[in-house]
Amino acid sequence: MIPTTTVPGAATRTRRSGLNRPGFVTYGLLGAFLAGSVFPLWWSFLIGSHDSTVLARTPFPLLPGGNFLRNAATVIDQVPFWRATLNSIIVSTTVSLSVVLFATLAGFAFAKLRFLGRGPLLVFVVATMAVPTQLGVVPLFIVMARLGWTGELTAVIVPAMVTAFGVFWMTQYLRGTLPDELIEAARVDGASMIRTFWHVALPAARPAAAMLGLFTFVATWTNFFWPFIVLNAKNPTLTVALQQLQAAYFIDYSMVLAGATLATIPLLVLFVVAGRQLVSGIMQGAVKG
Amino acid sequence: MSTVTDAPTRTRGRRPDDDRPPRRIGLSQRLGTWDVKLSPYLYISPFFVLFAITGLFPLLYTAYVSMHDWDQIMGQGEFVGLEHFRFVLGHSDFWVSLRNTISIFLLSSVPQVLVAITLAALLDSNLRARTFWRMGVLLPYVVAPVAVSLIFSNLFADRFGLVNAALGLIGVEPIRWHSDPLASHVAIATMVNFRWTGYNALIFLAAMQAIPRDLYESAWIDGAGRVRQFFSITVPMLRPTIIFVAITSTIGGLQIFDEPRLFDQYGRGGAGSQWKTLTIYLYELGWTQSNFGRASAVAWLLFLVIVAFGLVNLAVTRRIADTR
Amino acid sequence: MLIGVAGLALAGCAGGGDDDAPDGQAGGGGGGGGDQVTLTVATFNEFGYEELFEQYMTENPNITIEHTKADTADNARDALRNSLGANAGAADIEAVEVDWLVEFMQYPDKFADLSSPEVEGRWLDWKVDAATTDDGKLIGYGTDIGPEAICYRADLVEAAGFPSDREGFAEWIGDSWDSYFAAGREFVAASDAAWYDSAGALWQGMTNQIEVPYETPEGEIVAATNPEVRAAYDAVLKASVEDGLSAHLGQWSTDWAQSFQGDEFATMLCPGWMLGIIEGNAAGVEGWDIANVVPGGGGNWGGSYLTVPAQGDHVEEAIALAQWLTAPEQQIQAFLAKGTFPSQPAAYEDPALVDSTNAFFNDAPTGQIFIDRANAVEFQPYKGPNYFVINTAIQDAITRVDVDGSADAESSWAQFVSDVEAIG
Repeated sequence: MIPTTTVPGAATRTRRSGLNRPGFVTYGLLGAFLAGSVFPLWWSFLIGSHDSTVLARTPFPLLPGGNFLRNAATVIDQVPFWRATLNSIIVSTTVSLSVVLFATLAGFAFAKLRFLGRGPLLVFVVATMAVPTQLGVVPLFIVMARLGWTGELTAVIVPAMVTAFGVFWMTQYLRGTLPDELIEAARVDGASMIRTFWHVALPAARPAAAMLGLFTFVATWTNFFWPFIVLNAKNPTLTVALQQLQAAYFIDYSMVLAGATLATIPLLVLFVVAGRQLVSGIMQGAVKG
Repeated sequence: MSTVTDAPTRTRGRRPDDDRPPRRIGLSQRLGTWDVKLSPYLYISPFFVLFAITGLFPLLYTAYVSMHDWDQIMGQGEFVGLEHFRFVLGHSDFWVSLRNTISIFLLSSVPQVLVAITLAALLDSNLRARTFWRMGVLLPYVVAPVAVSLIFSNLFADRFGLVNAALGLIGVEPIRWHSDPLASHVAIATMVNFRWTGYNALIFLAAMQAIPRDLYESAWIDGAGRVRQFFSITVPMLRPTIIFVAITSTIGGLQIFDEPRLFDQYGRGGAGSQWKTLTIYLYELGWTQSNFGRASAVAWLLFLVIVAFGLVNLAVTRRIADTR
Repeated sequence: MLIGVAGLALAGCAGGGDDDAPDGQAGGGGGGGGDQVTLTVATFNEFGYEELFEQYMTENPNITIEHTKADTADNARDALRNSLGANAGAADIEAVEVDWLVEFMQYPDKFADLSSPEVEGRWLDWKVDAATTDDGKLIGYGTDIGPEAICYRADLVEAAGFPSDREGFAEWIGDSWDSYFAAGREFVAASDAAWYDSAGALWQGMTNQIEVPYETPEGEIVAATNPEVRAAYDAVLKASVEDGLSAHLGQWSTDWAQSFQGDEFATMLCPGWMLGIIEGNAAGVEGWDIANVVPGGGGNWGGSYLTVPAQGDHVEEAIALAQWLTAPEQQIQAFLAKGTFPSQPAAYEDPALVDSTNAFFNDAPTGQIFIDRANAVEFQPYKGPNYFVINTAIQDAITRVDVDGSADAESSWAQFVSDVEAIG
């Protein structure tokens, strides 16, 4: 058998056995927090299902009205909604896959291969996590304009194709989980480096890679600043399209909030499917995206 | 030696045999050496190349742009030295934006950490339906800040907003969320907290669970109650995590843009710059006024602010977590 | 160099006939036989073009029109800036608002010259003048204008005991800002509602009656020293705050939009394009009407142009489309669809415009009213390259006093002066 694998962060968790189940205060507080977390989304749907005149009336409605689909149709008519959704899917998927691939490659090298300068380079990677690269927007924009990429999805995808955090995360993971023996065995077998990576490291990295991909996906999907600057109304991502709804002279708030609801649905679906993975990803040390 | 039972290598069906004859000398061996020597650099190069082009270069080039007249449409103009810095530092918008940015940052990070730790402590008990609660607190994380802002700016509308209506029920005068600077900061900080508190609670939860349980047991024997245990064991043990969360939220928090941008439909941070942040100011200079030179100067100043804050942050959190 | 609609058909054919025809149709785009040309048109708010595009595509089968209609004028402006800076990404036809037209006229090379004998005399003089550079290059074709009238809630006026029919009301409020404010003081004494929605909205009306408000044609910024500007600023803030005539709503804000559902204010300045906005916000509210008068004489608020960025692949086809869209017949269609009032005098003779009425506004003869209002406009104020930025600054100054209550008129003016000094 493989010598005991140690997964970082997954250290054996002794539950606080012997202690009683928590009382209603704990549940009450948690329940209140949860209600606060859900309420804004509910409100968004609620107003999005009425017409905007409802906001000026008191008391506010408590139950959804029947206008959601009509408002949603207005949203789709008002902004290139399907285009934006497709763009968001393309950008988020491409960026996630690319980050996972490049981060795993680099992580594999940092964790398992010996080469000159490995230590300092890794320190450098970690240090760049603290660099607010968003502040380079002006030159980045100039560069994109020179390349003729403004308005194109490539302008959003390319700068995000690999992240320092991803590299660091995969390095940590592979260092802890991938036994050197496996690699040596593959090498002795005559496998090239890239084969070793592909057949040994990548499969071993799968759990961490999935989480990295997931977080990258969410972060890319919700990203606004750079896409807002470099894309335009014709070819937006979902967040960019969403802000256009508010930026109109005649603002129909039930339409705006129907749009906010609509734009949130895809990630809610993702949350239902992969919420557990997100939770355990954070608990294993994922950082803010 | 190792008896490999894992899938990946088994698929290749062979095992290292001690008596395998040496083959493939010469070219292939030399290639093999190159493979060993170069591959690591090749594998890490995507990150370094990309960082150099889209991270480091733009940051440095920002300094260059900041010393030139640079119109968005007309491009590079004359070298002006530190003129843009002089202008920006001499203009009230910069200082007001700085004030707002720091105020929003403090209003979001401090309460957020406190609530998140409390929440983590609540979650760190023998709950029924554990996964449900953990997922529940994370829900807001998947809502884009843009959507959060659209929803909350409606909730916080000055006259026809739900928050003021609710306050009215308990006899509180309507708060001027879009007029009063502090009130607008609270509203914006609420959006940030909405999205990140649960997320940070899970980070703290993980850290709490890594605290050796025998510490609590001996405290229990010494007669320390739960609250006492929380402050004398949990909080100090969370120190590295608190620092980590504080640093990451400093870098992100000081660059805040999405929430204030969508707090009203103009996106300029209010008529009196009540909630104009430094990044909004940067955007306004660069993309509304077309002045890339000044925008770059703001970018560099913001960079310095972030570095300074990161250092202060480190010192303060160390301090706080040390006392006890 | 220009080809009209007729020439367009030729251009389409020429590309199809022989081989690559390198000499003839360089701008025809695409090459290849019977090529479809796709034109992109970027507008903002409501231009009322949807059906016209369909019609044009039916009449010109080789043209496909893609329409992006998204933002406020503000965002459209930023987006166009981006495209021009990058020299890529602009639509074939970009709509430009009058308030930032001059800003873009600083870069005439970025736009195609639209001047052509065919369109001479099509627009009101001041409309064309504003889009013509010093050396005679025409940057944009006029679409609509925003002649101002006063929209009012007849029911609130009547309840307060004042004349509420169109003529009586117009007579009561008179035709100067003083008489309008005086009527307002009488009104607020007799009613719970405010007199008008927002000081910032009135400002648009007042500033559009100052011939040289912020910048001189010589390029000097006079906003902070111009006594006319200061006088108007003081007048509108005195009426709004001291006399309490304003409902203190920030124009276009959430609260402003919602307030139409209540009895918050009785009158507002309404250019033609505002009718649709009032109708949308005030859905279900009865009592709106329009008076054929505006304080201080005539005034124009807003209105747009169609420009053709030079970077496009189909400049000629785009010019042809823009010419067609801005012809009087088409502009009348747009007016009937979305209330964008024509800038083409020929349209003012057309019964379709003259006889049009608006049911939401008590069947007011809106066509005739706005024709009268348009004829009352004597000039378009000179708007320099910094107009947009300066006007934003003074709007902010007014909002700080009227809506936020965070500053008094004097200190807010001081801030405005400092903002103006920062331009450059």
